[in-house]
Amino acid sequence: MSNSTTSRGGGTQTVSPPREGPRTASGPTGRAPRPEWRQRLTRLDVRLSPYLYISPFFLLFLVVGMFPLAYTAWVSVHDWSLIGGKGEFVGLDNFREVLGNPYFTKQLVNTISIFLISSVPQIVIAVVLAALLDNQLRGRTLWRMSILLPFVVSPVAVAIIFGSLYGDRYGLINELLGHIGIDPVGWHTNRFASHVAVASMVNWRWTGYNALIFLAAMQAVPRELYESAAIDGAGRVRQFISMTLPMIRPTMIFVVITSTIGGLQIFAEPRLFDETNARNGGSDRQFGTITMLIYDFGWQLRDLGRASATAWLLFLVICVFGIANFLLIRRIGSLGGDR
Amino acid sequence: MTRRPGFLVYGLLTAFVIGSAAPLYWSFLLGSHTKEIAAQGVPPLLPGGHFWSNAERAVATIPFWKALSNSLLVSTVTACSVVFFCTLAGYAFAKLRFRGRGPLLVFVIATMAVPTQLGVVPLFILMSEFGWTGSITSVIIPWLVTAFGVFFMRQYLVDAVPDELIEAARMDGCSQIRIFWHVAAPAARPAAAILWLFTFMQVWTDFFWPLIALPHDNPTVQVALNQLQSGFFKDYSLVLAGTTLATIPLLVLFVLAGRQLVSGIMQGAVKG
Amino acid sequence: MQTSRTRRFRIASSALLALTLATTAAACGGGDDDSSGAGADGVTTISVATFNEFGYEGLIDEWNESHDDIKVEQVKVGTWDDAKANLYTKLAAGSGLSDIEAIEGDAMPAILAEEGAFEDLTDEELDGRWLPWVEEKAMNADGQMIGYPTDIGPEGICYRSDLFKKAGLPTDREEVAELMGTWDDYFALGEDFMRKVPDTAWYDSSGGLAQAMLNQVANPFETDDNTVDVENPELEAVWADVTGNIEKGLSTKLPQWSDDWTASFQNDGFATMACPGWMLGVVEGNAEGVKGWDIANVFPGGGGNWGGSFLTVPSQGDNIEAAKEVAAWLTAPEQQVKAFADKGTFPSQVEALESEEVTTATNAFFNDAPTGEILAERAQAVTVQPYKGPKYSDILQAFQAAILRVDDGSQDAEQSWDQFVTDVDALG
Repeated sequence: MSNSTTSRGGGTQTVSPPREGPRTASGPTGRAPRPEWRQRLTRLDVRLSPYLYISPFFLLFLVVGMFPLAYTAWVSVHDWSLIGGKGEFVGLDNFREVLGNPYFTKQLVNTISIFLISSVPQIVIAVVLAALLDNQLRGRTLWRMSILLPFVVSPVAVAIIFGSLYGDRYGLINELLGHIGIDPVGWHTNRFASHVAVASMVNWRWTGYNALIFLAAMQAVPRELYESAAIDGAGRVRQFISMTLPMIRPTMIFVVITSTIGGLQIFAEPRLFDETNARNGGSDRQFGTITMLIYDFGWQLRDLGRASATAWLLFLVICVFGIANFLLIRRIGSLGGDR
Repeated sequence: MTRRPGFLVYGLLTAFVIGSAAPLYWSFLLGSHTKEIAAQGVPPLLPGGHFWSNAERAVATIPFWKALSNSLLVSTVTACSVVFFCTLAGYAFAKLRFRGRGPLLVFVIATMAVPTQLGVVPLFILMSEFGWTGSITSVIIPWLVTAFGVFFMRQYLVDAVPDELIEAARMDGCSQIRIFWHVAAPAARPAAAILWLFTFMQVWTDFFWPLIALPHDNPTVQVALNQLQSGFFKDYSLVLAGTTLATIPLLVLFVLAGRQLVSGIMQGAVKG
Repeated sequence: MQTSRTRRFRIASSALLALTLATTAAACGGGDDDSSGAGADGVTTISVATFNEFGYEGLIDEWNESHDDIKVEQVKVGTWDDAKANLYTKLAAGSGLSDIEAIEGDAMPAILAEEGAFEDLTDEELDGRWLPWVEEKAMNADGQMIGYPTDIGPEGICYRSDLFKKAGLPTDREEVAELMGTWDDYFALGEDFMRKVPDTAWYDSSGGLAQAMLNQVANPFETDDNTVDVENPELEAVWADVTGNIEKGLSTKLPQWSDDWTASFQNDGFATMACPGWMLGVVEGNAEGVKGWDIANVFPGGGGNWGGSFLTVPSQGDNIEAAKEVAAWLTAPEQQVKAFADKGTFPSQVEALESEEVTTATNAFFNDAPTGEILAERAQAVTVQPYKGPKYSDILQAFQAAILRVDDGSQDAEQSWDQFVTDVDALG
């Protein structure tokens, strides 16, 4: 058993005595002390192993993670056509062009708007849902699994399914709205309505997931706190607001930041929701997002230089949002109490 | 005692679960009716009997089986790769002392915020250079390791493996690799399973990069669904039958491992 | 309780891990995935990428039944725009294209400009197979034939006779033809129609109308030396007509090919549409079960040709000779005659046009109209071949988006036109 896993480099020399090990180290009767070459080998082993363990990760990560980052910057300062390849060095021209392009501003606003319309209600509902689950429920694993169901449906499938509901003229939702006397909504043409439609897809998929995260945080709250609060006469709602919410604030930061990173990159849902030929997010890019603009620049207009510049700008936006989120929530936290 | 739930709690939860399942049911419902019925604004509430014939048409419209086997291959290979490399690195960060550990870990955490989209242009140039675009290799490579995986395994292993155990094994004369294999790896198994699941799902549902990298005749499931949806005739009975069919593999995974998924999400939350 | 749960979890997760390893081993063992090329058994598989409806399904079955060494596989994509994005991406990547790629006629100039990316398909034996003006579109600057023409798109007007009847208009296809000699006649008739049947639009989409009108303009977007010039009076006239009609309500205002557009076939959404040959199959598919469709032997403002495609062989493929063979076979007169019978794609092959199957063809869905005869006459009526340069396809996409902005009310005609001009500038 032990032989099979000894290091390959050591070959036959490193067959070490198994099992009775602990005694050899401390036992008084003892055997001969280890030979010096073995001690050196062990020291080398201890010193080098950590690097050996992390190096596959870092090597791969450099190639597939870091190198593309740097290379994107390199591409972004060149004329770089999809077909023709690298052209002249153009400095910051690509950035200037992208920033001056009205679609960039519009799609940035769309991205942020869709993100806000999806994450704010999503977090509120998830917290409420978590509070419901944070009870002595019968069959609680089943409940937890049930709310997670949408998470296994891919964004593409979600977009197709929801897209079939949101027809402007002949869709089920407008049909139902008609029955209660509401005029048909232009889900694909009205800017705000289209954001709501796309956000609903995101919410459907992620609310249950986030609820479970909040639930975990809520369960970490000591039950005695609730009991003493109840003795003090605090009601359920009051307990929730003044105790549970402050206690789950760190989790809130975690959820908000992860959903920021994901939400600002949204692509599959709006792209599949679009039915115009160009698929840029509506005729007037009502629901076009930044990632869709990257695709448009790079693979429809065939200009990798502008696509790279846009990618970097997206990265900056995500950084700004991430930091702002962090500061904001931490600030609220420090105002609220001890955490 | 104070937290025994009432009718209201169960009612709200039930409503939510119905909301979670309804779109899937809708997809199956329209997929099980004929095109004419599916084209009506409000279809009947009960499924019809045409699901398999619609699914057959969908399978004939897109390279479905190829897409399925591609997705299975890509997701499985990357999930295994991520679990292996990230457990190794995570263990080193959690339990071993070495120069540069702190800064490197900070670096890993910082890169978790880097959007994958950012690398798409160079990935495309690189893959084209190697002639891999169009083959599923191009979709596997970018996912071989993730910063999240390292961070996740590190967080788990910090508590899961007592330092004394490692120390004892070392006193015992165990080489580092044996300590990893016999002490750390078994302890890492629950977290590794969760990381495996997450990576599998993430890669399975990925769309942006495969859309760029893969051709129409060698797609993943997501790319194939995109093809199905952008069809010339918008026949929702066909499109939704195909979508339902394509969702079944993950539903099966969900039934088998949903419990792990739930506890994984909840554990990750406390640690993260 | 805590411990037993942990144990159970561990057992489950190890089982899962074992399962994974097993599936990976299996997957890796069996998953040697080379997308194309000659298999070990000596069979070459040729993939043919098409968009919309080419009517090739039956033909490919026929080929596969009679050939053991070369098997043909069709890769179907929805619209040309999707196919185009994929085409360029894989062209840039140097791999990933199908062995045969179908190209939409409007994009041929751009394809011809991609030197060295597509095979020269010139073949003396095929001299005279196609109509000269179609063949010309497949020739690059060096006189190489880059694509084999498949079909052409001579346009007639498809109309719903039942809705015409409801509006008190004549329903007979010859009488209808007489009412639509010019665009002004056609639009005036539409206004007349809509006074009687206000809930039904006159034509299917503004985008479709624009396509029809653009194909009668000599230089829609570019001058003969490929200079982009979108601010020309002829294009502005098309724009004025199309957007003016939106205000009058003649259009459904729906994006062509969208869900709602498709659904509007089933909901009496509109009464007429510009119908190139290949559109007949589309109408029949979308309007399944709807009675009353007919086609009139007329096109406002003279003849018009919309679309028609070409089969090309990308140089990056592994099986170029076999691909050429298949492409030549698919575009042979006998085959295109069958495609016409199946999906209405009107042949571009001289022999096919003269064949009895085409000239005497009728279409049951369109009230047994003599579609062969009508489309042949429509093809003869084509007098203008619009000049389309390498940027045509991209500019057209921007133009269509501009029309949609007016359709859905997000901008007025003037704003949208300005944005169109900006978009064209950004094409670089």
